[in-house]
Order: sequence, then structure tokens, then C-alpha cells
Amino acid sequence: MAGRKVTNTFNRLSPFQRFYLIAVAALIVGPFAPLIIQSLAFRWAWPNLLPSVWWLEQREKSPIPLAWDYVLSPYSRIYEATINTMAIGLAVTVICLAICLPAARVLARERFRGKNSFEFFLSLPLIVPEAAIGIALLMIFINLGLAGSYVGIIIAHLIPTIPYMVRMLTAVYQGLGREFEEQAMILGANRWQILRMVTLPMLMPGVVAGALFTFLVSSNIFLLTFFLGQGKIITLPTLLFSKISGGTLDASAAGITLIVSLPGIILLVISERFIKEEAFGKGFGN
Amino acid sequence: MTGMNKSALLKGLMTASALALMTSLAYGDDAAKQFRTDFLDGKASWDDVKARAAEEGKINFYYWGGSDTINVWVDSVVTPALAAEDVTLNPVRITGTKDAVDLVLAEKNAGKGVGEGSVDAIWLNGENFYTMSQQDALFGSFAQKVPNSSNFDWNEDDPRSLLNLRDFGVVTNSQEIPWSGQQYVCAVNRQYVDAANTPSTFEDMKKYLEANPGKFTYVKPPHYVGNTFVQSVMYAFNPDGNGAIPFQQSIGDLGAEELARLIKPGMEYLRAIEPMLLGADGGKARYPEDIAALDGLFLNGEVHFDCKFGLYAVHTGLQTGTFPEQAEAFIFPKGLMIANKNYLAIPANSPNPASALVFANYMASVESQASKLEKAGMPVGIDIWKLAADQAAMVEKAAPKHYGVTQEELDANVAPDTNASLVDVIEATWLEYIERGSSASIEEIVAKSAKEIAQ
Repeated sequence: MAGRKVTNTFNRLSPFQRFYLIAVAALIVGPFAPLIIQSLAFRWAWPNLLPSVWWLEQREKSPIPLAWDYVLSPYSRIYEATINTMAIGLAVTVICLAICLPAARVLARERFRGKNSFEFFLSLPLIVPEAAIGIALLMIFINLGLAGSYVGIIIAHLIPTIPYMVRMLTAVYQGLGREFEEQAMILGANRWQILRMVTLPMLMPGVVAGALFTFLVSSNIFLLTFFLGQGKIITLPTLLFSKISGGTLDASAAGITLIVSLPGIILLVISERFIKEEAFGKGFGN
Repeated sequence: MTGMNKSALLKGLMTASALALMTSLAYGDDAAKQFRTDFLDGKASWDDVKARAAEEGKINFYYWGGSDTINVWVDSVVTPALAAEDVTLNPVRITGTKDAVDLVLAEKNAGKGVGEGSVDAIWLNGENFYTMSQQDALFGSFAQKVPNSSNFDWNEDDPRSLLNLRDFGVVTNSQEIPWSGQQYVCAVNRQYVDAANTPSTFEDMKKYLEANPGKFTYVKPPHYVGNTFVQSVMYAFNPDGNGAIPFQQSIGDLGAEELARLIKPGMEYLRAIEPMLLGADGGKARYPEDIAALDGLFLNGEVHFDCKFGLYAVHTGLQTGTFPEQAEAFIFPKGLMIANKNYLAIPANSPNPASALVFANYMASVESQASKLEKAGMPVGIDIWKLAADQAAMVEKAAPKHYGVTQEELDANVAPDTNASLVDVIEATWLEYIERGSSASIEEIVAKSAKEIAQ
């Protein structure tokens, strides 16, 4: 059904609108085409439009794994990097939520002296350059024995994610009046029941959006991970950097690039569906 | 971010944080200290080392991870071989060797003493070794104390031992063990250049560029591959005509004035060819940042030559599709193809020093050297004349094919590399005179650079 709706709408567009729509789509999808071809190539040199030798032709002859054989082999470290990225992202999201939920509640509902400056203070980590934070943290973490550890990286990832999460959750809390909770209280619910059955379900869309966003940010942080992981802990962004820092994209680098972009695409699809259809579709309290 | 900026930043921040955090200086792990002293004094037998290595059970090896073939070799050959010694190899792939050196120094400056760091072995040479030895960050003279040291020539009276005893002219004191011996070899794309037009001297190359502008470039210093190209130019245009010989002395012995006199014609040559290099037509000459970028230009036919360290570069390039089909090596510059070795070093604060020694010993074995040569196309670092006949035959059999040149021709055109203390000054001079196009004279630039580096 959704498909037909899109086609109908597309037909109703003026030629100009259609042209721009296609241009935007081409700009977004376009870069992936050469990437996919490169990932399947053995030798692809100027001025050939397509590789002169494909990976599959060379596959049997080569003594070492090429292209996707390399990417999907343990040699490429792609599995390790994916698991690390996921685990770190998940831990960062959970800790971030645990910190930000209570904080957002206070910021949305309470008034206290210095609240405005405090809110400004919260966004400071987004203003300070990551490199400055990274190097300073590295020196501190080396002393604390946290450099090159998962704990160190997770702490570092909290710095750029907390400001976003707090802002998002504060906005959601502000949209959620006290009256629903008061109503439940009048009807005899205890604090735990209120939290579980009233507050959390109503906060859900904001929590999910914030969590997805945090995860996405965490799984894309390069510099802090690079500094604090000291090369010992590899994630998808650091793996990609070490592959393509030469400025040349060979077949295995193209394959890794494609895989690195997968989590983002999957999460975007999930968040699109979930937030639009499930959460915001139903709306608050309707 | 460039390496230089990063290290400057690190240095500043290190001092600041050391003060701010009131770091109590750690004294190091006593057992590791005892082991280090015992081993270096010859009191620990090799069995003791192996026993301690099995106890440590782990080694963190930091190496440049930019080559798929080397990565596959390390994972599929070295890891199982060390597992047989009860040591788990943790290969840490880095984008630049300097990152590992910076890490060791940062940890050292943060008070992480013997046994308390995180790096056990580094693949390095030249400036990186020089930095570590200057900062007293090396484990000690171990290379002649491991069993497989017999595969190397340590006899100072034999000139062939030079590359085991000196790394870019700096005395190694056995603080690193040779791993691979490389030579600066240029490849040519036969699709564009036939044998008659192939240059063999820098003057030939200039003529080639006059006829085919834009078809050559070299990796940008301070990358070591670029530095090496610049050094071979300096040798070729040495006004005394004695090539590499004066460049073996340190800057202190040679003096800035003399160095300026020696490199002036070479620098002038580099400035003269700059308008004919890749991209110079459309403005500024383009120097690729590293070998991967240069290989890309070579593959695409944007340049006709590809100069880098790589005795078997054509073999590997054809095997991985990163070189054009008609690539071939050629002798250039005649008689001045710089050869050197690269090494494995153990940092002073290595957390698993015994495992690192077992690892270094394994890497120096004939079996591992032959398999590295065959599977990763990396030349051996051991000295063939020190091997038994069957071992030498094993190495010979493992050697990949040469394309366009023979081993004899390569050997006949060897030149030594430049003293590490001069490398820095020549590099700084290149950056000032060529990259920034400074109008100051070579003499002024060299004097200024030498002074700054000495500080």
C-alpha cells in the first residue's frame, strides 16, 4: 500500500519536482554504485568504465584472499570490529539513558537557580573539539589504567552523546504534563506502578529516538575511539580509517566501507518505521 | 592531523597533565625489572625466558597494517607458531609506526615504568628507532642474545654486517633485531614507456619529463619513502662525486655548512623538475601522501613510474591487482638504489618482555623468514651467508619472481641510507625549499633547520 501511495504522489509531481527528487536520490545512492563495483574488482584502472579483471576471475589463481574473501575472512577483523561497535554502542546507550532520564526529568519539571546556565553548560562538550578532549582524556586515562580498555572508550563516548540525549528527553518530558501521573496517583497507583505503566510508556517514543540516535553517534565516533582504544580496540570506524587512510580504495577497502555503512542504514530503517508508525502515529495519550 | 602536530600537542599536554595531575612517578614492576637485568646480563638462560614467556602468555605486536598480504601472513603463520610456545599473539595494526612510538613515549612520560606499558614489540626503523633510543625507551641489547641471532652477521670487520649494526647510520647496539632487508626500487609501466626511453639516471628522468610532463612524482616527505627519494637525489648530485659516503656522518660531525654545500645541487634539481611533476601543469605539483596513493596513480596511468621500498613490489602488486598489468622493475637511479633493513624493537616498558623475546627469536628464524618471503613478498632480514646450505636453498626457493630486473643487477646498484640525524635536516630543507618555495638560500635553510632540530 505504501508503495502505491508513493507512485501516485510521484506521478502528481511536476517535471521539475520529479527531476529534483531523482537528483537527490541519485546523490544519495550514487556513491554506492562505484563502491559496490570496486568491491568486486581485481584491477580497475582509468580509463576503463568497468574493472578490466574481476575478483571472481582471479579468485582461484590468487594465493591470498581477495576482495570479499578478505573482507569476510577473520584476517580483515570485520567481525571483531562489528561486535566491538555494537557492544560499545549498546553500553553507551544504556548508561546514557540511565544518566539522562532522571536529569531530563529534573530539567523539564523543576526550577532551580542557575538552570539556564546549567543547560548551556550541558552542551559545552559539543563545542570543544574532539581532538582536544581526546588527547587530554588519553593522558588522564593512561594514569588511571583506562587507556585501551572498553571502559575508557565507553566513558569517552558518553561525552558527545549525553548532551543530545538530555536535550531530547527534556523535550519529551516537557511535552508530557504532570497531570497523567497525578491522575494515576489519585486512582491509587504507587510510584513504581506510575513509572512502569504511565510515565515510561508515554516517554517511549522519545526514549527510542534518543537511544537510536545515541547508538548511531557512538558507532560513528572515530577520533575518541582511535585515541583511547590505542589501536587495541578496533571498531568499524577505526577499521575503516586504517584501510582507507592512504586515499586509495582497493577492493577489500570498498567491501569494508559497505559493511561499515550497514548498521547506520539498518538503524535508520528501524527508527523510521518505529518512530513514525508506532510511536508518533499513535501520539501521546490518544 | 599531521604527525608533527600531534606529537607537539602530545608533548605539551603531557607536561601540563603531568603537573596538573601530580602524577606520582611509578617505579615499575619489580619482577619485570629483575628479568630485564638478568636477561641483559646473560644470567637468564633461554629456557628461563621461554618459561616466563609461557607464564606471560601474551604479546602485543604493533605494526603497520596497511598491507593485506602481510596481515594475512601474520594471522595465519605467526599466530599459530607462537601459540605452540604458549604465547598468544595480539597483532595491533596501526596506520603509522609513529603512533606506536608516541604511545610508548606517552606511557613512559605518564610514569609507566618497566613492565607497565602496553606495547611489547614494534616493527620500525630509521627515525622511529632513533627517537626511541634518544628517549631511552628501549628494552636493551637483546638482538645478539636470542638463539637465532646466529642467522645474522655481527662481525664489525665485515662490511656486510653494516645493516645489522647501524640503522640509518645510527648504532643499533642490538636494541632491535633485523626483520627484513629492503631496497628502493622503481617500477615502470611498460604500456607507456619502452626500454629505450626508460631513464636510468636523474638527468634521464628530467629529459623524460621534458618530453612527457606530469608523468612522474614522488611520495611527499616527511614520509620515509619520499625522504629516501630525496636522499638518492642528494647522493647523485653530491658535488664531490662520492655519492653516499659523506652522508654517513652525523650532523654534528659533518656540520651544517658542509651539508648545505653537499645538498645544494640536489635541491636545485628537485626544484627544477617540480614544474614538470604530476599536476604541476594545473598549478602546484602533486606529491602523494603515502605509497597507497602513489600506487593508485601508477595503476591509473597518471604517472608512469612508481618508486618505493619494494624488492618484490611488482610481484605483490600484480598478485593483488594494485599494479598495472605491464608493470616491471627497472634499475634507477643507477648505482644509488638505497638499501636498508627494518627491525623489531622491544620497548623498555614492555609488559611481556619474555614473550617479546620469544617472538623476536621466532621472527628471526629461517622458517619464518622464508615463509614471510614467499607469502608476503617481504625480503629476508637474515644474512644468507650465515646460513647452512639447506637453509639458504630454502630461502632461495621461497623467493618470489623479479620482473624486469635480476637479483644480481639489484645487488650491483645498492647504496646505503642516510644518517638519521641528517635525514631530519634534509627533510626540513625539502619542506622549506621545495614545498614552501622559500626564497632563502639553501645555506640559510640548512643552518636554521639544523639548529632547530638540535634543540
